[in-house]
Amino acid sequence: MKEAIELGLMALVLSDMALLGIGLLSTCIRIVAFQGVLLGLFSVAVNWGFLTPRVWILAAVSGLLKGVVYPLLLRRAVSDAGVQREIEPYVGPIPSVLAGIALFGASVWIGGRLPLTGAAEAGSRLIVSASLMTLLTGLFLVAARKKALTQTLGYIVFENGIFAFGVASVGEIPALVELGILLDAFVAVFVMGIAMYHINREFDHLDADRLNALKG
Amino acid sequence: MQTFVPWIQFGIGLVLSPLLAGIVNRTKAFFAGRRGQPLLQVYYDIAKGLAKGAVFSRTATWIFRAGPLIGAAAAVTALALAPFGGRPAAVSFPGDPILFLGLFGLMRGLTVLAALDTGSSFEGMGASREVFFSALTEPVMMLGFLALARESGALSLSGILNAASLERPETALVAVALFIAFLCENSRIPFDDPNTHLELTMIHEVMVLDHGGPDFALIQAGSAVKFWCLGSLIVNLFLPLRPDWPWTANTAAGLAAMAVLAVSVGVVESVTARLRLNRVPQLLAAAAALSALALIFSLG
Amino acid sequence: MNVRPFALLLWFPILIPAAAGLACRWMPSPKWIFRTVLATAAADAATAALLVWGTASGGRLFAASGWLFLDALSAFHLAVMSAVALFASVFSRSYFTAEESLHGFDRGRARQFGGLWCGALAALSLVLLSNNIGVMWVGIEATTLLTAFLICVRVTPESLEAMWKYLMVCSVGVAFAFMGTLLVASSAKRLGLEPMEMLLWTKLSENASAMGALPVKAGFLFLLVGYGTKAGLAPMHNWLPDAHSQAPAPVSALFSGFMLSAAMYCLMRILPLVEAATGRVGWAAHLLAGFGLLSILVAAAFIPFQKNVKRFLAYSSLEHMGVVAFGIGIGGAGAALFHTLGHSLAKSLAFFSAGRLGQDAGSYEMKTLGGSLKRGPLWGSGLLLAVLGLAGAVPFALFMSEFQILRAAMATAPAWVVVLFLSGLAVVFIGALHHAIGMAWGEAPSRSVPENGPFRPAAVETVLVAVMLILLTGLGLWMPGPLRQGLSAAAAVVTGAPSGLDAWSVWTGGPTP
Repeated sequence: MKEAIELGLMALVLSDMALLGIGLLSTCIRIVAFQGVLLGLFSVAVNWGFLTPRVWILAAVSGLLKGVVYPLLLRRAVSDAGVQREIEPYVGPIPSVLAGIALFGASVWIGGRLPLTGAAEAGSRLIVSASLMTLLTGLFLVAARKKALTQTLGYIVFENGIFAFGVASVGEIPALVELGILLDAFVAVFVMGIAMYHINREFDHLDADRLNALKG
Repeated sequence: MQTFVPWIQFGIGLVLSPLLAGIVNRTKAFFAGRRGQPLLQVYYDIAKGLAKGAVFSRTATWIFRAGPLIGAAAAVTALALAPFGGRPAAVSFPGDPILFLGLFGLMRGLTVLAALDTGSSFEGMGASREVFFSALTEPVMMLGFLALARESGALSLSGILNAASLERPETALVAVALFIAFLCENSRIPFDDPNTHLELTMIHEVMVLDHGGPDFALIQAGSAVKFWCLGSLIVNLFLPLRPDWPWTANTAAGLAAMAVLAVSVGVVESVTARLRLNRVPQLLAAAAALSALALIFSLG
Repeated sequence: MNVRPFALLLWFPILIPAAAGLACRWMPSPKWIFRTVLATAAADAATAALLVWGTASGGRLFAASGWLFLDALSAFHLAVMSAVALFASVFSRSYFTAEESLHGFDRGRARQFGGLWCGALAALSLVLLSNNIGVMWVGIEATTLLTAFLICVRVTPESLEAMWKYLMVCSVGVAFAFMGTLLVASSAKRLGLEPMEMLLWTKLSENASAMGALPVKAGFLFLLVGYGTKAGLAPMHNWLPDAHSQAPAPVSALFSGFMLSAAMYCLMRILPLVEAATGRVGWAAHLLAGFGLLSILVAAAFIPFQKNVKRFLAYSSLEHMGVVAFGIGIGGAGAALFHTLGHSLAKSLAFFSAGRLGQDAGSYEMKTLGGSLKRGPLWGSGLLLAVLGLAGAVPFALFMSEFQILRAAMATAPAWVVVLFLSGLAVVFIGALHHAIGMAWGEAPSRSVPENGPFRPAAVETVLVAVMLILLTGLGLWMPGPLRQGLSAAAAVVTGAPSGLDAWSVWTGGPTP
C-alpha cells in the first residue's frame, strides 16, 4: 500500500506541474478531474486496514464532487464563455514550471519540518509535501492567471491540496465537519460559476485582469 | 575473466551499436507497411564511406577534418564509461558522470565547429539549433544523475545506475526524463527527423552535409556509439539486474533490452509527429522539471 | 440556568434566519420580504437578549451535545451582531424603497436580497455559536459565499468586479484558515481526544497547554492569514474597499458592522489556545498586534486621499479592525471588545447615512455630497457625527476604547510602537475630519441642489438615527455595570484567564468575577 500511495502522490505532484505548464483549458479541467479521483482513492488508501463506512462515504462524495461535478461545471463555463485557452497569462508556461519546481522544493522543505503524527502513520514522508505542493500550485494559479476560469480552477486545486493535507495529517475529524467543508467548497465553486456567468454576460469576456475599474 | 568482462561488453557495444539504427529503421518500416532497409545497412554505409576518398573545400580548415575524428573518439571513450547489463563499466571513478556528459559536449562542440567552418548558412542554422537543444538537455541529464546519485550514495555512473531501482518514484521520474533527453540527444523524433531531406527542417543532419567519405563514416559510427551509450544508461535504469549474476546472463539481458529500446524508439517515431520548433523547449523544460522533481524528492 | 430546555434556544439564532431565508424565495412581493427580514432580525435580537441574559446569570450554555455553546465572548458578539442586524434590517427597507424609484427593485432582486441576507445572518450566528472550530470555519466560508451576491444585488460592471475579487480573495484566504484549523487539529490528536471532541473549542482550551507548540504555531500563521483576510487586516485587505464601495448600503453596514468582527472573533477564539500551547510568551498576541498596527498605518496612508465616501469608510474599517487586533495583541482585550461594539454602531450608522445621501445625490463621490447637512439634515448630521465618532472624537464610545487601548499599549508595548499607533490614529483623525467637514458644510455642487427642498426622512429613519446616536454617545459617557462586567468576562476568555468560564452578572445572583 505504501508504494501505491507514493505513486499516487507522485502522480499528484506531476499533475500539479502539468497544470502549471499547460494553457489549454479543457486539458486543465481534465487534469483537475483526475486529481479529484486520485484524492478519493487516496483517502481510501491512507485508511487501508481500518475502512469504515465513513471513509467510503467521504471518499465517494469527494471523488464525485471533485472528479465529476466540478469538471462538469467548469466545462459548461468554458462552452458558455467560448474560451479555449489561457492566452498570455501573467506568467508563461516555462516560468510557471520553474516556479513549480521552486514551490515543490519549498513544500518538501516545509513538509520535513512539520512534526505531524498523521503522515507518519500513513507511512509516507511525501504526503505533506505533495499536499503542500498542490496547495501552493492552486495559489499560484489563482495569482498568476488572468482568466476567471483558471482562477476558479486554481481555487479547486487549492482545495484539493487542503483535502489531501487533511486526509494525511488528521484523518479522523468528524464526518459532519468534513461533509460541511466539502459542501462549502462545492458551493464556492458553484457560486464562482454563477459569478462567471454574470461576468461573461456583462463584459463579454472572462479576463479577470480586465476587471480593473476599482482602484485606490 | 571478471576483469575482462567490461572490456568484452565494451567490444560488443562497439561492434553492435550500428545495428540499433537498423532495428529502428526496420520498426519504422514495419509501421509504414514497407520492408525497409537491411538490418545491417549502417554497417554497409560505414564500410562504403571508409573505402572512399574525400573532397574538402578550399576554405575549410583542419577543424573541419578534426570534427568527425574527435567526435567518434569522444563517443568511444564515453562507451568505456557506460555500464552495461547491470555490471560496472570498463572505466569507473567517482565523478565520471561529469566526464561522460563532457565527452558528448566535446563531440557536439566539434561537430558544431566543423559545421561553422564550412561557412554554409544552412549548417550554421543547424549548429545554432543543435546548441540550443543541447543546452536544454544537459540540465535534464545532470539533474537526473544528481537525483540518482543522491539516492544511491554513489558518485560513479556504474555505482549510480546499478543501485537504482524503478520501485522508487524518483527513479521512474529520472528514467522518463532521461528517455526524453535520449531522444533529443540522438536527434530522433519528436525533436529531429533523421530521415528528412529538407535542409531547412534538419538539425543534426544539416551540420554534416559537407562531410563525405571516411569522415561521414566516422560521424555515422560516432552517433551509433552515442546511441548505444545513452541507451545503455536507460536500459540499466529499467532492468533490475544484479552485478553478482553470471555476466553472460546479464549481457544477454542487456542486449535484449537494447533491442527493445531500439524498437520502442522506432515506435515513438512512427506514432508521433515532429514537434514545432518552438514547442521543443517546452518538452525539454518538462523533462528538466521531471529531473528536478526527482532531485527534490530524493532530498526530501 | 444550564438546563437543556433553555439551552435549546441556542439553535434559534441559526435556524430562524435560515428558515426565513428559505421562505423569502416564495414571498409574493418585496413588501413581504422586508417584513420577513425585519421579523427575523427582531426575533434574532430577542433570542440574543434571552441568551445573553442566560449566560450572564448561569455561565456557559451548551446544546447539540456540546457542539453549540455560548460563553461571555460569544454572547457579547451575539449581542453586537443582533443589534447591527436589527438596525441594518430596519434601514434596508427604507434604502431599497428609495432604490426602487431610482434603479428599480423587482421581486426577483428582493427575493435574492432577502434570502441571502437571512442566510448570512444564520451563517454569522453559526460562527458565533459553534463550539467546533471546524464548524466555525464552515460558518465563515458560508458568509463569504452568501454575501458575495449581496454585493451585486444591483448588477453593474463595478459591482461584479468587486464581487469577483471578494469571492476569490476571501475564498482562498479563508481556505488558509482551514489549513490552520487542520494543523491545530493534528496537534490536538496527541491529546488523545475522541474524534468527536477533537475540534471542540472547550476541549481544546482545557488541554491547550499539552498541544505541540510547533504545529500550533504553524497553524496560527495560517489562521491569522485566513481569518485576517476575512477581517480585512492589512496586507490582505485588498477586497475590502472594493466590496464595501459597491455593495448596497445595508450590506456594507453588515460587512463592516459585523462580518469583519465575526472573523476577528474567530481569531479571538484561537488566540488563547495558541498562547497556552506556546507557553504564554505572547508570541501569537504580538503577531496579531503587528498585523493590527500595519493595518492602522496602511489605513492612515490611504484615508486622506479617498474620494468616494464608501471607500473612505471601508478604509476606516481597516483602521478599526487594526485597532481591535492591536488592542487584543497588546493586552487590552476588554477595551478592544468595547471598540468592536463602538465601531459596529458608528460604522453602520455611517454607511446608512452615506447610502441615503448617495442615493439622493446620485453618486458616492464626496465632492457631490458637499453640503449634506442642508440637503438632508437627518442623514447629514448622522454621517457627520458617525464619522466624528469613527475618527475618535471625544464624547463617543470609540474615543473611550481607543484611549484605554492606548493606556494598555503604554503599559506593555515599547515606545516606538506607541508612537506609530498614535501617529496612525492622528493621521486618520485629520483625514476623517477633513472629509467629514467637507461633506457636512462643503459647497454643494450646483447640479444636485434639490428642487423640492431637503429630502424628508421617514419617521422610522429618524428614530433609527436617534437611537444609534444615543447609544454611541451614551456608551462614551457612561458604561453600564452589566456591560462592564460582560466585557471583562469576555476579555477573560480572550486572555485565557480562568474566570472566563463563570457567569458574570450580578442580576440573578450568579458568581461575580
